Amino acid sequence: MLHSVKISREACQGCVNCIKICPTEAIRIVDGEINIISELCIDCGECLRSCSRQALGIQGDDWNKIKEAPKVTLLPDPVFYSQFSHYMDPSALESVVSSFGYEMMTEEMEEAFDLSAYACAQAISHSPRQSLPLISCYCSSTLRFIQSRFPELLPRVVPVCSPLELAADLLRMRTNSSAPITLLSPCPAKITMIKDPQGRERSPIDNAVELRRVARSIMASNASPQPETDARERSNRWLHWARRGGEARHIQAFSDRKLTMLAVSGLRNTIDVLQELELGRLRNVDFIECRICDTGCVGGTGTAESRFLANLRINSINVDWNVTENDVQRAERLYAMDFWAIEKEYTARPHLPLSDNIGEAMAKLQQMKEIYSCLPHIDCGSCGRPSCQAMAEEIVRGHGSVTDCIFKLREGIATLANRIVVMSESQPQTLKIRGETK
Amino acid sequence: MAAPVCLEYRIEGNDFMVAGAASNNIKNTLKMLGISSSVCTRVAIIAYEAEINLVIHGGGGVLKAEITEDRVKLTAEDEGPGIADIEKAMTEGFSTATEYAREMGFGAGMGLPNIKKNSDEFNIESEVGKGTRLYSTVFFNKQ
Ligand SMILES: Nc1ncnc2c1ncn2[C@@H]1O[C@H](COP(=O)(O)OP(=O)(O)O)[C@@H](O)[C@H]1O
Ligand code: SF4
Ligand SMILES: [Mg+2]
Repeated sequence: MLHSVKISREACQGCVNCIKICPTEAIRIVDGEINIISELCIDCGECLRSCSRQALGIQGDDWNKIKEAPKVTLLPDPVFYSQFSHYMDPSALESVVSSFGYEMMTEEMEEAFDLSAYACAQAISHSPRQSLPLISCYCSSTLRFIQSRFPELLPRVVPVCSPLELAADLLRMRTNSSAPITLLSPCPAKITMIKDPQGRERSPIDNAVELRRVARSIMASNASPQPETDARERSNRWLHWARRGGEARHIQAFSDRKLTMLAVSGLRNTIDVLQELELGRLRNVDFIECRICDTGCVGGTGTAESRFLANLRINSINVDWNVTENDVQRAERLYAMDFWAIEKEYTARPHLPLSDNIGEAMAKLQQMKEIYSCLPHIDCGSCGRPSCQAMAEEIVRGHGSVTDCIFKLREGIATLANRIVVMSESQPQTLKIRGETK
Repeated sequence: MAAPVCLEYRIEGNDFMVAGAASNNIKNTLKMLGISSSVCTRVAIIAYEAEINLVIHGGGGVLKAEITEDRVKLTAEDEGPGIADIEKAMTEGFSTATEYAREMGFGAGMGLPNIKKNSDEFNIESEVGKGTRLYSTVFFNKQ
C-alpha cells in the first residue's frame, strides 16, 4: 500500500505527539524507530501538524527534476489559486506561471469540475430516498477513512472520479501529447490518489508535488503578470472547491431541486458525521461533503499560506453561480461520454481481526482484556503505542511485551529490588560455619 | 466453544454528551473478532438506540453485550418509569421525548422500530413504575 507521508528517523526525538494524534492509530515507536502501519494510514497529514521537529513530511515527486523537462504541464488544485497575496486575479497568476515556461491547465479545469458537479447532481436525483445521502469522494483521505472504518457507507460514495482526474482525462483526449501531467497537490492524500488510485485502474495524472514547493518558488521570483490579461469568460466556480461548502454549492447549481446538504470540515467533524450517518441519524439529507482538513483543502498540509487568508482570497474571487444553458449543454455532452464514472467499486479495507477463527479471536480478546486490566490506563504513550488499549492489543497480536510499559517495568524492578534485599539479608551458611571453626 | 465475551456499560441518565460511546465500543469489539461489517453496523444501531433510550427515557441503566461464536445478545435494563403501552411505543414516529431531548436531536420515534428491524430476535418487557428490559439478538451467519 502506497503512502505519501515520509519519515525522517534522524529528526525524530520520540516525543509521541504524532502517535497520539493519529486518528487511525497507525503510528508506533518501537526500539526508538518510528513506523507507520501502512494498512491503517489514510494520509490525512495530522501527524505532520503535530511534529515540531520536521520528522514527518510529504513524499511527492521531485519537482527539481520535473521542472527541467522540455514540457511542463501543471494541473493546479483549486487551492493553488489561494496562495498568493499579489496575484489576486486568477488570470494574473496564470500569466505569471506561463512566464516560467510552464503550461497550466485552466479550461479543462472549469469543464471537469462542472462535469463532476453535474454528475453528482444526477447521481443524487437518480438515487432512491433510502440510498441518500450520498457522500463526496473529493477528499481522498476521507475516502480512505470510509474504506477502513465505515465500509458499510461505501455504496453511498458518489461513483464519480475526482474532477482533478477528469481534467487530466480531458486533456489526454484532446491532445496527442504524452507529456507528463503534474498535479499541484495541497496534501499527501491527493498525492496518494495518483500513486494508488481508488475506483480506477490507473491515474491519468503522472506526477504529484506538494503545491507549497511550486508556490514558494513563484513567490520568491516576484514576477509581475502581463498587463493585458485574457478576456476569456470564466465562471470560477471550480475554485470554490478549495474551501468548505464549495463542492456542495456547485452541485446545487446543477440541480433541479433544492438539495439538503451538509458540508463539514476537520477531522473531528468528519468522524462524527460519518458515525451519525452509519447510525441512521441523518435522514432527509441528500449529500454530505466531508473534508479531513479544517476549512477545507486550503487547510491541507502541503500548502504555503494561512488557511484563513487563503479562504478569504477564494471568497473574494468573482464567481458566477448561475449556470447558463451553454454550461449545462457542455456538461451533458461530457456526461454522455461516460468516462467520468469510476471503473471499479471502492473496496473495503477493514482492520485485521485478532484471528480468522472466531473462537480463537474470542480467546485472544479475553487475554487482551486481562492484559489491559493490569495496565495503568493513563494512555501516556511511553510504550510507543497510542493507548493502553492499543498496547494490550499489540501484545496479544505478538508485537510487544508487558514490560514495554514503563510502569510495569518499574513494578518489575521494584519486585526484583525487594527480592535482592531479602536475599542480601539471608546469611550465607558456609561463612558462618567457617567462622565457628576458628 | 470459547467462553463468551461479556461487555457491560453503566449508562447515566440525561447525559447526552457521552451517549454513543458504549455502542461504538461494542462495534469495535465485534470488528476485532472478524464479524462482517454489515452485522457490526446492525448491532451498532441497536446498541446505540437502546443506549439513547436509557439516557432520555429510562433515567439511566445498564447495557450488556454477551458475545458467543455465533451471535451477540444485547440487554438494556433500567429502573425508570416503564412503558404503559408497548404496542404504541413500537410504532414508527411515536415518541414521548421531552422538548429538551428533541432540541438535542433525539425523539424521532424511530428507535424501537429500528431496533426491532435490525434484530434477529427481539423482546421488550416493561412495568410502569418499575422499569424496562429490552433484549435483542443478532446472529453472525444469518443475512
Ligand atoms: N427505556 C425506556 N423507558 C421508558 N420509556 C421508554 C423506554 N424506551 C422507549 N420508551 C418509550 O417508547 C417511546 C418510543 O421509543 P423510540 O422508538 O426509541 O422513540 P424515541 O426515543 O425517539 O422517543 C419513547 O418515546 C418512550 O415513550
Ligand atoms: S481536505 Fe483536501 S487537502 Fe485535506 S486531505 Fe482532504 S483532499 Fe487533502
Ligand atoms: Mg429512542
